[in-house]
Amino acid sequence: MSNLTRGLPPLILPRPMPILSGNVTFARFGVEPAESFPTDVRRWLSRGLRARAFEPIDKHTEEERAAGFVELENHDANEFSPGRLFFGDYALLAWRIETLKVRASALKAEMAQWAAAFEKEQGRAPMKGEKSERRSALRQAMRLKAEPVTKVYDVSWNMKTQELHVWASSRKVVDEVVLAMESCFRLRLHAQVPSVTARRQGVADGALMPTPELLGMELSARELASLESSTKEVSRGKA
Amino acid sequence: MAKREQAQAEAAFMRGDVGVDGQATEEQRDEAEVEKDKAREQLLRGRTYLGRELLSWLLWSSEAGEPLVEYEERPVTVLYTSRVVLKGVHEDVTEMTARGATAPYSAEVRHALDRGLLVHSARLCFTHGDRQYEATLDAEHLDVRSAKLPQLMTEEEDDALQERLYLVEQLSGIVDALVEAFLAVRTSKRWRQKIVPAMKEWMQGSED
Repeated sequence: MSNLTRGLPPLILPRPMPILSGNVTFARFGVEPAESFPTDVRRWLSRGLRARAFEPIDKHTEEERAAGFVELENHDANEFSPGRLFFGDYALLAWRIETLKVRASALKAEMAQWAAAFEKEQGRAPMKGEKSERRSALRQAMRLKAEPVTKVYDVSWNMKTQELHVWASSRKVVDEVVLAMESCFRLRLHAQVPSVTARRQGVADGALMPTPELLGMELSARELASLESSTKEVSRGKA
Repeated sequence: MAKREQAQAEAAFMRGDVGVDGQATEEQRDEAEVEKDKAREQLLRGRTYLGRELLSWLLWSSEAGEPLVEYEERPVTVLYTSRVVLKGVHEDVTEMTARGATAPYSAEVRHALDRGLLVHSARLCFTHGDRQYEATLDAEHLDVRSAKLPQLMTEEEDDALQERLYLVEQLSGIVDALVEAFLAVRTSKRWRQKIVPAMKEWMQGSED
């Protein structure tokens, strides 16, 4: 598949923080396979990305959002041939999110117009069932006319150092990409923050308790006990 | 009472929101208390306090302008520039922002640190050998935000991409090197015996 944009070109917002130019914003993760990497990493990666590739919203359904992987340099392509996916030690790809929404205010205005015309013609206000039927038909018609909004976020994965960067500032997007990568490739992505680095170095939890002199207070036993679970969360990049 | 109102009142009673007298079972919590709880939750989530201690330690140790670590055999110096956000949990002020070219090292910021606020996010300038990077870091995720990379040396598109990826990796490596240096100090006996008292003394210091 090489053209993921159906109908008119969608409204593609400026790429928030692209790999190729401009200021740089990215979230940092270390990559660890659940088992071990396959021998043919390139093929495995291409196949995995294709399995979770972006598919555009089908306007004939109720779907309002679609997300998946696309090629970095062509957001309308999801073939991920090695020539397009790999650049030196890096795998370069992008995460595309498409949203299609019918504005409630526009639907309401259309409904009011229809109700007024109906009343004039029939001499009565439309019944609840008639309204509901009309609303659903109008909504579908408006969906067909509406153009989806597309946003694309870059992902770079250094296959040598196993460091992965998600080039997005929104935590929601970062978490979504992390989840997709983890489930797609059976990986563990660990955030590169002090607590995770310390744990990976084998530092005991007891040595990582807060410094009361700096916090200006002592934490309660309950709060200290809750720290263990929060560390598990951050190690999965979801804090 | 209308049927609808009666049903609503019964549902509220069943949920335990109101008692038999129709009064709310729980008193509205004080806004300040809610805010403090939220601040504490933020502090503990994913051990964010470690990131705050790191950025506060870095502020203290960077003031002298000396190299803090070596990364790939070249010294790294750090300078806080323009904007710093402090967060705390136990006093009335839970967040404070200071702006100004030398604001991060000002007496106001140091005194706020002394009162239990810690650096939560800041704009930093990293000098690595002859290269200079600028980025905003936050304590919770240590994400790199709005980073300025050194001027690229190449003009060819592919070479430029390669160089850009290299510089991004270098910047990330510098952050990791600083984290490791912090952890080495933080997990040593020196932390409680020497470093923290020295930091407190600096925080309590006079104007200069």
